[in-house]
Amino acid sequence: MMRIDEHPILGKQEEKRVVEFTLDGQIIMGFEGEPIAAALKAAGVMIHRYTKKLHQPRGIFCAIGRCTDCVMVVDGKPNVRTCVTSLKAGMNVQTQFGVSAKTQTGEV
Amino acid sequence: MERYDLIVAGAGPAGLSAAIEAAKRGLRVIVFDENEKPGGQLFKQIHKFFGSKEDKAKIRGFKIGKDLLEEANKCGVEVVLNAIVIGLYLDKEVTVKIGDGIQHFKGDTLIVATGASENMVTFDGWTLPGVIGAGAAQTMMNLHHLKPGNRILMLGSGNVGLVVSFQLMQAGCEVVALVDAAPKVGGYGVHASKIARCGVPFYLSHTIIKAEGEQFVNGVIIGEVDSSWEMISGTQKHFDVDTICLAVGLSPMSQLLKMAGCHMKDTPGGYIPECDEKGATSVPGIFVAGDVSGIEEASSAMIEGRISGIAAAEYLGFIDKEELKKSIEKQEKALISLREGMFAPENRGRSIKKTEEGIDVSINLLKKGYIEETEIERFPGFTKCKGVHPVIECTQNIPCNPCQEACVKKCIKIGEKITSLPAIDETKECIGCGMCVASCSGQAIFLVNEEYEQGYAAITLPYEFLPLPEVGSQGKALDRSGKEICAAKIIDVKTKKAFDYTHLITMKVPADMSRKARFFVNSRRCEDE
Repeated sequence: MMRIDEHPILGKQEEKRVVEFTLDGQIIMGFEGEPIAAALKAAGVMIHRYTKKLHQPRGIFCAIGRCTDCVMVVDGKPNVRTCVTSLKAGMNVQTQFGVSAKTQTGEV
Repeated sequence: MERYDLIVAGAGPAGLSAAIEAAKRGLRVIVFDENEKPGGQLFKQIHKFFGSKEDKAKIRGFKIGKDLLEEANKCGVEVVLNAIVIGLYLDKEVTVKIGDGIQHFKGDTLIVATGASENMVTFDGWTLPGVIGAGAAQTMMNLHHLKPGNRILMLGSGNVGLVVSFQLMQAGCEVVALVDAAPKVGGYGVHASKIARCGVPFYLSHTIIKAEGEQFVNGVIIGEVDSSWEMISGTQKHFDVDTICLAVGLSPMSQLLKMAGCHMKDTPGGYIPECDEKGATSVPGIFVAGDVSGIEEASSAMIEGRISGIAAAEYLGFIDKEELKKSIEKQEKALISLREGMFAPENRGRSIKKTEEGIDVSINLLKKGYIEETEIERFPGFTKCKGVHPVIECTQNIPCNPCQEACVKKCIKIGEKITSLPAIDETKECIGCGMCVASCSGQAIFLVNEEYEQGYAAITLPYEFLPLPEVGSQGKALDRSGKEICAAKIIDVKTKKAFDYTHLITMKVPADMSRKARFFVNSRRCEDE
C-alpha cells in the first residue's frame, strides 16, 4: 500500500471523494482532484508510457510537470502530464506508446 | 492588455514576500504561478526551518507558506494560478499562458522569482520508472500522501538529500543507503546525524553504476570512486530497491531574464542574472529574488523577496530613497547573518578544519554522517553535570539560534553571533522541560540524566515517527551510527502543542550507555528485521 494513512507531522489525510476511472480499460479507484499520477501510483502502476523509437518504459520522474516523462493519453488526448492533471470521475486514461494509445487490435 | 505597477513571476517564498512588501506600499500587484497551488516548494517542507527566531526559524515550511499566503491575500495581492509566464519583452511586456490562451500584460516593474529546477545525473538505467528526483519524492509524500517507494536509495548528501531521506522515513519508507560521489557529506551535519542514528548507512565517494530492472527499478549497483572520480574496480555493491532518488543539486531557472535582455553570467552555481544587492538587474525596473539569482534556501529567498519588493516600490516613486534605506536595513542584516558560517557561499568547495571557536571539526561526521563518541567531548554543547541537563551535539557553525531562546532558564548560550556553537551554562539549573529538544531544527539536543536510578541513565530525545512508543515500551537503544547497543525502556513520552509535532521520548538505559545511546526502536521492529 503506497498511501500514507497517518503521517507523524501532517496527520491524517483529509477525506476526499473516491472516484472510478479506467486505465487501459481496467477500472481503478482514486481520489477526486489528486493528480492522475498519484492515483496510478497508489494502484501500483509504474509505467506511464513507452518511448516512440526504442519502446523504453517511462514513469513519474519530476512529479511537478517539468520533465514530461509521465505523459499519457487522457480522454483521447495524448501527451497529458499526469502528475499535474487532476483526476476526475470517469476519466479514460491510456498508456501512451510513442504519441498515441494502443489500438484495440494492439497496433500502435 | 492590462497594466500593473508590479508583475511577479513565481508565487514561491521569494515572489510572495516581494508581492506583499510592494502591495503594502501601495503598488497594484499581480503574481503569476504555473502551479495549481501557490507557495512554491514551501508546502513540501515539513521540517522545522533553521535560522534566527526573528526570521521564522523552528517553524515548519508549510506553516510559513500558509502564513505568507494569508498575508498576501490581506494586502490585496492578486495571485493567478495555472498561469505560465512564457515571455518577457521590451518595455516589460509579459505574455502569460492561462488555460489554452495567451494573455498579454504590462508591468511598470517586474520581479522574477521563478526559483530553480533539479539537476539530474545519468547512469545506466536512469530513465527506468522508479528513478525519481528528490523533489518528486517530496511532492508525492508531503502533498499527495503517497510513499514514493518502499525501499529507497538516495543519491546526494546535500541538505536536500539529507532532509528528504529523513522525510522518506517519516512517511514509512526504508532508506537503504545514502550515496554521494563527493568524499564528504555536503549538507548540515545535524541533518546527516538524524538519519545516521536511524541506521541509514552513508556511502561517500560512491556513485551509482546502474539501475537494475527491465520495466522498472528492482535494484541498484553502486561503486566507489577515487579522488579523480574514476570507478575503483571490485568495489561494486548491490541493493534491492524499488526506488532511486536523485538529489544532486539545483539550477536557477533564469531563462525569462535572458529573454528580457538582462546581463547574465555563467557561474559554478548556474546561469544567473547580474544584479545588485537589492535584486535590480541590468534592465531598469526588472528585479530578481530567490533561487533564480543563485541557489540558497527558502529563508534567504523570503528576505531577498522583501528587499526587491521594497526596491520596486522605490523605483516607481511610491517611497523615497530615505525610506528604502530604512526599510531594507534590517533585512540586509538578516541576509548577511544567514550567509555566514561554514556553509556560507564563499566557503563552497572549501575544506574547513576548525570551527570559529578553534575546535577541530568532526571528521567522522563528514565521512559517515555521525560524530564519534571520542569527538563529541570537545564541543561546548557536550557537558556532564549532575541531574538532568541538555547535551547539544551541534558541532558546525551554521546560522541558527532557536535553542538559545527556547530555554527559559538560560542554560543555552549562543551569543550575538548566530553561527556560534551553542554552549551550556552549567551555573544555570536545567528543569528538564524539553523546550530546547523540541526547538532544535537539527534534532541535535538531548536531555541526559546520568543518575536517573542506581545503575541507569535517562535520555530524552526528539521523535517524529509513527507509531509513537508508549510508556513502558521495551526496545533497543541505538548509538549515533544506528547500531543497537543495549536494551532500553521508555519511561516518559511528552507531547505538547509548543513542541509542534516533535514528541519527546525518554528512555532508560544502563548508566554506561548515557554517552552513546541516541535513538530508540521498539522491540517489534527489532523482530521484523
